[in-house]
Amino acid sequence: MASAYYEFYRGSSIGMALTDSLDELITSGSITPQLAMKVLQQFDKSLADTMVKMVKTKTTLRGHLHTYRLCDDVWTFIVKHPSFKMESNEVVSAQRIKIIACKNGDAIEPGKK
Amino acid sequence: MSNKIVPAIYRAVIDDVILNIKNEFEEFGVSEDVLAELQHKWEKKVIESHVAEFESAPPPPTQQYAPATHHVHMIQQAHPHYSAHNPYAPMPAQNGQAPQVKAEPVDSRYILGGPQGVASHYALPPLPGPTLNGARPAAVHPGGHQSVLSFPPGPPPVQQQPQAPAQSSATAAPRAYNAPAPPANPAQPAAVPRIPQTDGPSDSSDDSPSPPQSYAPRSSHPSLPQPSTSQNSVVDSEAINSDLDDSDTEGEDDADEGTAGDTDIVFCTYDKVARVKNKWKCILKDGMIHINGKDYLFARCTGEFEW
Repeated sequence: MASAYYEFYRGSSIGMALTDSLDELITSGSITPQLAMKVLQQFDKSLADTMVKMVKTKTTLRGHLHTYRLCDDVWTFIVKHPSFKMESNEVVSAQRIKIIACKNGDAIEPGKK
Repeated sequence: MSNKIVPAIYRAVIDDVILNIKNEFEEFGVSEDVLAELQHKWEKKVIESHVAEFESAPPPPTQQYAPATHHVHMIQQAHPHYSAHNPYAPMPAQNGQAPQVKAEPVDSRYILGGPQGVASHYALPPLPGPTLNGARPAAVHPGGHQSVLSFPPGPPPVQQQPQAPAQSSATAAPRAYNAPAPPANPAQPAAVPRIPQTDGPSDSSDDSPSPPQSYAPRSSHPSLPQPSTSQNSVVDSEAINSDLDDSDTEGEDDADEGTAGDTDIVFCTYDKVARVKNKWKCILKDGMIHINGKDYLFARCTGEFEW
């Protein structure tokens, strides 16, 4: 069941922080890699559920699409000069940003439940 | 702004993971201390990443932060034990004065024996080890500081020792002691003959002192036989890990993204991606944006790009 949750959020900053912490504990012999995997699977689940439950923010993004790619139901966009417009009219922009988007919704809901 | 909600969300995620993984830790026979340590490390790294203003955020979830601070206290409480070893260093010094008058060491033991009567007996065996004597005037305090600094971040020593890499890290502190050791070695022969004398009177209390006794051998063993091997292994592992990891990731990033200097990235899911000529529209969901060193979250994001 846990495998129904995406693992790619592990690449986020909070996910990397967890992964690094687990690595340290494995290296020091405090936990086994198997247990670390369990923790990461729990993270996948906790993060997805928490995001759905607690995050309500809406945002818009504009920019120049430099690269697009669809492979195995995963979209990858590289956007030049992206400009995120947050709800409070705050605008965040950068030189370029990479967007990794896995398929949402109906495709994964059945597997999840 | 969606950056302000980040601390609360991350807080909730961490708590949820820790709460739900507790059973797994029990099934794996891993103590809750390790789980607490994991939480502590995780929180520390998240805060250090500065992806959001966590300092202002903690107040609301103060209750949840409480456990973390407890862990800190736990660790800090552990330090006194280590620092307790340092007090032993001065003790040998007193014994070092003993050669002049045999009666003195006995007195010093009893005085010190108040709080740690049992351990004081075994402070003598470590005498040769605590070669600190020689370097004590100059090095003991620095050594003590080093040990304090080196241990807090690391897990409890007992947990470290099981594994080789851990030993290397654990020996990092002992190394400080090793350095001063050589000069003090000559002091050992003088101290050794004294040990039997102290052993005699302390025979009656041999049973209880065993725990502290275990401390001395542990500290001495890893430090004495392993300094060379452990250091080598450390060097090797570091070299391998750092070189390979860096080169691999850097190569991939460069090849993949071309001008991948910053890793501004969005993790999200998509509901719909549509294109009309060169106009792209997509509806993204449940996203984590990492941009300009900050994290933002969104439940829904409409993207409009032109290719």
